[in-house]
Formats: sequence, structure tokens, C-alpha cells
Amino acid sequence: MKKLLSLLVIAVMALAMVGCSGNSAGGETKTAVINVYTRDASSGTREAFEGAIGLEEGELTSNVSEVSSNGDMATKVGADENGIGYVSLTTNFEANNIKPLSFEGVAPSNETVLDGTYKMQRPFMYVTRASGDYASEDLEQLTAAFVAYITESEEGLSVIESAGGIVDYTNAKPWAEIAVSYPVLNQDNSALTIRTCGSTSVEKCISAALEAFQPLAGNVNYAMNQTGSSDGQARVLGDEKDGANAAEIGFASRAFKEEEDVSGAMASGEFCKDAVVAVVNANNALENITASQLHDIYAGSVTDFGDLK
Amino acid sequence: MLVNKKRVKRNKSLDKFFHGFFMAMALLSASFIVIIVLFVFAKGISPFLPGYEYGQVNIISFLTGSLYRQDQGIYGIGFIVINTLVCSFLALLLSFPISVLTALFIAKIAPKKLGAIMQSVVELLASVPSVVYGVFAAGVIAALIKDLASSLGITTFGGSSMLAVIILLAIMIFPTLTSMATTAIKAVDKDLEQASLALGATRTQTNFKIVLAAAKSGIFAGAILGLGRAFGEATAVAMVAGNKLFGPTFDLFDITRTLTSTMLAGLKETSGLDYDIRFSVGLVLIAVIFVSNWVLNYVKKKVGNN
Repeated sequence: MKKLLSLLVIAVMALAMVGCSGNSAGGETKTAVINVYTRDASSGTREAFEGAIGLEEGELTSNVSEVSSNGDMATKVGADENGIGYVSLTTNFEANNIKPLSFEGVAPSNETVLDGTYKMQRPFMYVTRASGDYASEDLEQLTAAFVAYITESEEGLSVIESAGGIVDYTNAKPWAEIAVSYPVLNQDNSALTIRTCGSTSVEKCISAALEAFQPLAGNVNYAMNQTGSSDGQARVLGDEKDGANAAEIGFASRAFKEEEDVSGAMASGEFCKDAVVAVVNANNALENITASQLHDIYAGSVTDFGDLK
Repeated sequence: MLVNKKRVKRNKSLDKFFHGFFMAMALLSASFIVIIVLFVFAKGISPFLPGYEYGQVNIISFLTGSLYRQDQGIYGIGFIVINTLVCSFLALLLSFPISVLTALFIAKIAPKKLGAIMQSVVELLASVPSVVYGVFAAGVIAALIKDLASSLGITTFGGSSMLAVIILLAIMIFPTLTSMATTAIKAVDKDLEQASLALGATRTQTNFKIVLAAAKSGIFAGAILGLGRAFGEATAVAMVAGNKLFGPTFDLFDITRTLTSTMLAGLKETSGLDYDIRFSVGLVLIAVIFVSNWVLNYVKKKVGNN
């Protein structure tokens, strides 16, 4: 028993020594060192952020702290004077003690995102099957009605907005006005299914919109199979449009590429925008940051706020 | 008489029915454990088998690696295992003396009423949900550590650190350790104590040399249970661990990563290999708990013998 105890004591002391030696090494660094926070690799916000600052996959420094959610990021940066991170634009900055940074000189807000001057943003795009290429006439009408719901109706836009999308209300109309042109909505559609595919980042917005749309459209069913932006066009208009993964509406969290031809679609376009904001602690003096500065911080080549100026 | 016989027969068949019914329930609950283990095992082993759909992972580099980067496809959890062991054992070391002394106080020293109050306080602590501990750790412990670190001139990730994990776990396993130790101390034979007192030993001498020695097997069982909780705690730990991508971490003020926080991070949003590998991490966690329980049981036997 005594031997064991003394062994334990020695183990504790040894560990404490290791801890202390580590401390003194850490103590030499200045207080302006940057603590980098990032989301886990499966996060859509991280994908958008890394895309906007030009950080290649795997280029991220290992010297980061991984947080589990948007709220977690806000809390952690809000508690760390040396922290830098990124959150979605809909985050409550003040409540979390964080400061949104201007990106390339433009302050983030709904207005600057919508007019395109704030660059750390990406469009959420949709594309439908071609006219006449649906399983039934009713399904085509329902698809068209859903597109109208998420692009033109005040109700649909507000659902997307509360799911984190940035929407433009200028041309929005009440849903009741739009619904009259789709008589199919008045019948029982519970035997029909609207299938979606493409970007995983739109999932939150679109599932909220489909959920709200369902009771307005005779309880039509929906099935979401989001696998990535590159499948968005392929599975409604491209080679996979008649395959097992075919869908009525495809989504992409970027503009459709040139080789992704959407001219044949019944409808296609942008339904909302997604913006990411770089944030620091409210006590940090930093106000503005550029893409290349963020790139250097997240790639690990700049590790001190003093080196930014 | 005839009626009675009928009734006896009926009661017997009723008995038989309930016998079978209870047996079925017991089998059902037992089969859950089998199903869970089989499922986790099948899922967790799949990334290491040839022909795995997302590309086979090398099991050696998985078990010994010191970098965990989903974006680069590098999954090494050797350092995470070390981090988990270090955090859990340091938490146990921190909590153990406090718990044993508290238990001794509750069972032997405190006046009856105070002892009862203290015991219910400890039981209350055990019933606090882990996420509440997590919020407390993120808001209070982390802030204290941040201040402590900055007074020493060290920069921390807002207080998220190995030290925060250790203190959090020590608080979380305290009720388990204390209630087990209290039960063990209360179960010590009164004759032993009285014999010691009769021989002229003081109360304190009796408490430490006789009561604790006689109760050590039960106290150790509490330590094993507590360590199990420390290994398995996920939610609260993930809130203050900081999830470092490489390691192992030995600096108390540096961020760390444990097996459970690794399994939890981004679980809802992921798929493919990154999803399946969490089951492999779970398997490793089960193995770590198994081995450390076995070692502690061995130590317990050794300690119990002298």
C-alpha cells in the first residue's frame, strides 16, 4: 500500500513538472498571439469560409481549436481576447461579446451582402427538371409552386431567413396571391413526392421551406438527398436525371459552372445568399481584415496580431 | 375441494406465464447489450477491412498516430488515447483524497444530522446532468483558468484547457467516489473499531488505520466506477477541451482532445469515413475502459491482500 502510494505521488510530481516546464515555454510568447478557432471539417460554414479566403483543403494549420457549432464558436471567441473565428451573419454578435470584422473594407450586413459588395458570401442556387420531364403534370405544377414559394412569397422568404439565409424582400408578394395560379395545390397530393438533391449546405434552409410548404400543398411528400453541389445539376438535367438518384429540384451552394448547363430547366436561379463573418473578441482593436490576411492566419504563417499590420 | 384444486391449477399456470414473461423481459434487455456491441464492432472495424468503400484505413497508423485531421483524411488517435488516460487519471487523483475524506466525515465524524444532510448533497451532485456541469465548466472554471494563466503570463484558448477538463472531471466523479466510499466505510464492522479504541488508539488513528484499511476494497470499487465515468463523459468535456488536432498534450494550460469529444464533434453533419471512424474510436474507448478496469481490479486485489 505504501509503496503504491509513493509511486502515485512520484507520478503526480512528474506530471506536474512536465506541466510546469510546458508553462514556462508558453510564458515567453507575447499576449498578442492569435488563437485560431475553426469548425469541424463537416461544417458548411467552414466550407464557405475556406472557399472565400482561398484556403485549400488540408492547408489549415494544425494549431487550431475545433469548436462544435456556430454558437460554440461565438461563445469561445467571445471568451478569448486573442481568438479569431468565423460565424454566420445571423449570429448575435453583441450578446456573445464578439466583433464582426469588415472584409476587404466592407462591413458585413444584409444590405452589403445583397448588393454584392461584401465578398465573403456565396449564392444558394436552384435548378429544376426541364418542362414536360416530370412523372406527372401535377408534380410539375407542384415543383413550380415550390420554386415560387421560396423565391417570391413573403412567407417562404421568411422561413429561409429564419433558417440562416439572407433574402431580398423587395419583390416579395403574399403567398395567397401566388397560390391562386397553382390550382394543383387545392387537391390531395399525399401520393406525390418532391425530391431534392445537390448541395448539403442548403439543407437547413430547404428542409425548413419544404416543411412549411407541405401543408400549403395538399400534404405533398418530400425526400431530400443532399450529397454536394456537383450533383445538383447532374441529377435533374444531366447524365443522372433518369437514374436512381434523380430529383425534381437540384441545389448548389455556388454559381452553376459553365459545364453545368441549366438553360433547359423549367426554372433556375438564386433563392438566397449565405454569408460568413470573420469575428474577433469585442476587446480586440482589429476592425478590418483581408482575404490574404485570413489565409495566412488559417494557414499558420501569421501567428501574432502584431504581424498583421 | 374440487374448486380449490382448480384454483391451484390456475394459479400455477399463471405463475408459469409470468415466469416466462419476466424471462422474456430479461432476455430482451440483455440482448440490447449484445446488439449494441455487435453493431459498434461491425461498424467500427469496417474502415480497416480491405474493400472498404471510402478507402481502407491502416489500423496501425490509426492506433499510433499523433494527428487527427478529417480534412486531410488523417485519422491517428494514439495521442487522443494518451490525452484521455492522462485527463481521467489526474482527475481521479485530484478527486480521490477529497472524496475519501468527505466519506470519512459523513460516515464517522459528522453529527448524525449533518452527516445525513451532507450525504443528500452528494447524492444531489450525482444527479446533476452532465451538460449542466459543462456549462458551469465553460463559464466558471474556464474563466478562472484564463485569469490564472494570464496572471502567469500564459495565453490560453479562453480558458479551454487540459486543466479545465481535469477539474471538471474531478467534480463530476466526486459524487460516485464519495457515495461508494461512504457505503464501504459504514459497512466496516463496529467490533474492529471498538477493539482499536479499547487498545488505546485515538479516534483519528482508528479512522485512518482501521476503518479506511477495512473499507479500502469498497473505496477502490468506487474509484473504478468513477474512472469509468471520467472516460465516458462526452458532452461536458467537449465544451472545455478545445479539440486540438495533434498531441499528446501534457501542458495543463494547452487545449486537448479526448476520445469522447472526438466522437461527438460534428457527428450530426458528417457521413462516410468520417462517420464510420467514430465507431472505431468508440471501440478503442471501450477497450481502454476494459483494460484500465482490469488493471485497477488487479491493483485492488493486491491492495486488498496486505
